[in-house]
Amino acid sequence: MEISDDLDATPSAEDVFELEVEKVFQETLGLIHIALVTHYQLSEQEATELEKDLFVWFRRFCYRPGASVRENRPYLLVACCQFAREYQKYVVGTGVRESDEKLRSILDREPSDVAHDFSRSLQLFDFRRSDA
Amino acid sequence: MISRAAFSFSISDVPMPETAKILQFRTRQSAPMRSRAQVLEDVSAYLAIPAAERSDRLTESMLTDGDSLSAICTILWDTINVDPAMVDDEAPRLYRQLFARPAGELFFDERDYFLGEFALLAGGSSRHLGRREDSEAWFDRADASFRHTVAPASHLARVSYNRLALRYDMRRFSDVIELLPSTALTFEKLGMRLEVAKCGFLQALSHKELGEFEEAANRLQLLSQDREMEAGLRGSVLMNLGDVQTTRGNLQEAVLAYQEAQPALMQAKRLAALADLKAIFGSTLLAMGRRSDAIQAFREAVDDHIALGMVTRAAYLRLVLASALLAVGNAREAEWQIQAALPTIDDQKMVPEGYAAVALLRESVRQRKTDPKALLELRNYLQTRN
Repeated sequence: MEISDDLDATPSAEDVFELEVEKVFQETLGLIHIALVTHYQLSEQEATELEKDLFVWFRRFCYRPGASVRENRPYLLVACCQFAREYQKYVVGTGVRESDEKLRSILDREPSDVAHDFSRSLQLFDFRRSDA
Repeated sequence: MISRAAFSFSISDVPMPETAKILQFRTRQSAPMRSRAQVLEDVSAYLAIPAAERSDRLTESMLTDGDSLSAICTILWDTINVDPAMVDDEAPRLYRQLFARPAGELFFDERDYFLGEFALLAGGSSRHLGRREDSEAWFDRADASFRHTVAPASHLARVSYNRLALRYDMRRFSDVIELLPSTALTFEKLGMRLEVAKCGFLQALSHKELGEFEEAANRLQLLSQDREMEAGLRGSVLMNLGDVQTTRGNLQEAVLAYQEAQPALMQAKRLAALADLKAIFGSTLLAMGRRSDAIQAFREAVDDHIALGMVTRAAYLRLVLASALLAVGNAREAEWQIQAALPTIDDQKMVPEGYAAVALLRESVRQRKTDPKALLELRNYLQTRN
């Protein structure tokens, strides 16, 4: 009887890598969504579209030389805040959307600072998870 | 393979809302996701087509897809030590083609990142081929592009490492020894093991060039014990360890190091390093008194460097070969080797204009009475300057 190789096949290095990228992204997605919708005031549709782009970007970002996938997570948040800010600045600047005090305040802040605050939430999340 | 459908979200074919079509965002639909292996295969097929025969449409499909650009970079980095001339041909063209394209075709910081990668590849390949001024200009471009990426530290450190490698080529070894630890520390903090090892290697080579052979041997010995090191780098470490051992008179240890270096370099397809190994082994054979074997090793090293397009290195090795030929009384072939080297020495400006030893050597060869002093002076000059 022939037994399929697939049954015993161990995942390739590429598969392990891709799974890790997906896992890290999924773990961060909740925070990304909060950043986009609650803080940068994107609509749900806009946030969903940006999240798709962020995933494609993050996957390729992890192929760049440098840190491990998990260590790249703060950069995902920096990118999220940076691009959300650019997007909202453009939308507000063209008059498509009106700005309020809360939005103006976050658009005035450096995206890396905003991301840093979010990273603290992430560290807290990691701490709780390791504690569990 | 991982099923792409396993995502809780899918990569949509729906275009972004009109409001999203701004400079930093993609201005096209997401391409369907392909496995990395598939992309590498497609890109290898693209690169196998001669540049002049590539259709504009195919090139555009490569330049507007981040997965393809990422795979092109991977292939070119794998090739740079094996076939620098190929990378030297591709990377500048890719840089210019990408630079000329609209900014919104790639995601977020990717345009800057890939421009940085192609510039760094172009600079690295120019350095391998001995064109230092070109290298500096390309490293400046890499630096300028990487600065605009989301996480520039590792990439700027890579540029910094390449600049130091260039300083090594320019024989500014004290600069390298002084500045390298800072770059190595950045790599260490980022967990980039291969780059840390490369820094250690460059530092050891700088000690070797400064005549600090014991320090160099200790560092190289330590590096060579890392069996998990990338094969090409380990081969280069062992090759240089052999060279240092030759200088210290430990000829048997040198041969043992070369024996270990060769399979590692072959495994990594490091053709340039294998060509250098032949030249270095030739010097060890000379030290052992095996002159005809040494001459054969130098001949092969010259041929290999020519085949790799490394003309300046080949010209220098022709002079090394000529010296060995003169020492065994083969003046005719020595003259021929010198005559073959001189045009490259002139064309590539390997010596200052009017350099006396070149004129003396040219004249002595013309008279079929090779001047060994002029030959030795020119060899020494090229060894220290090139």
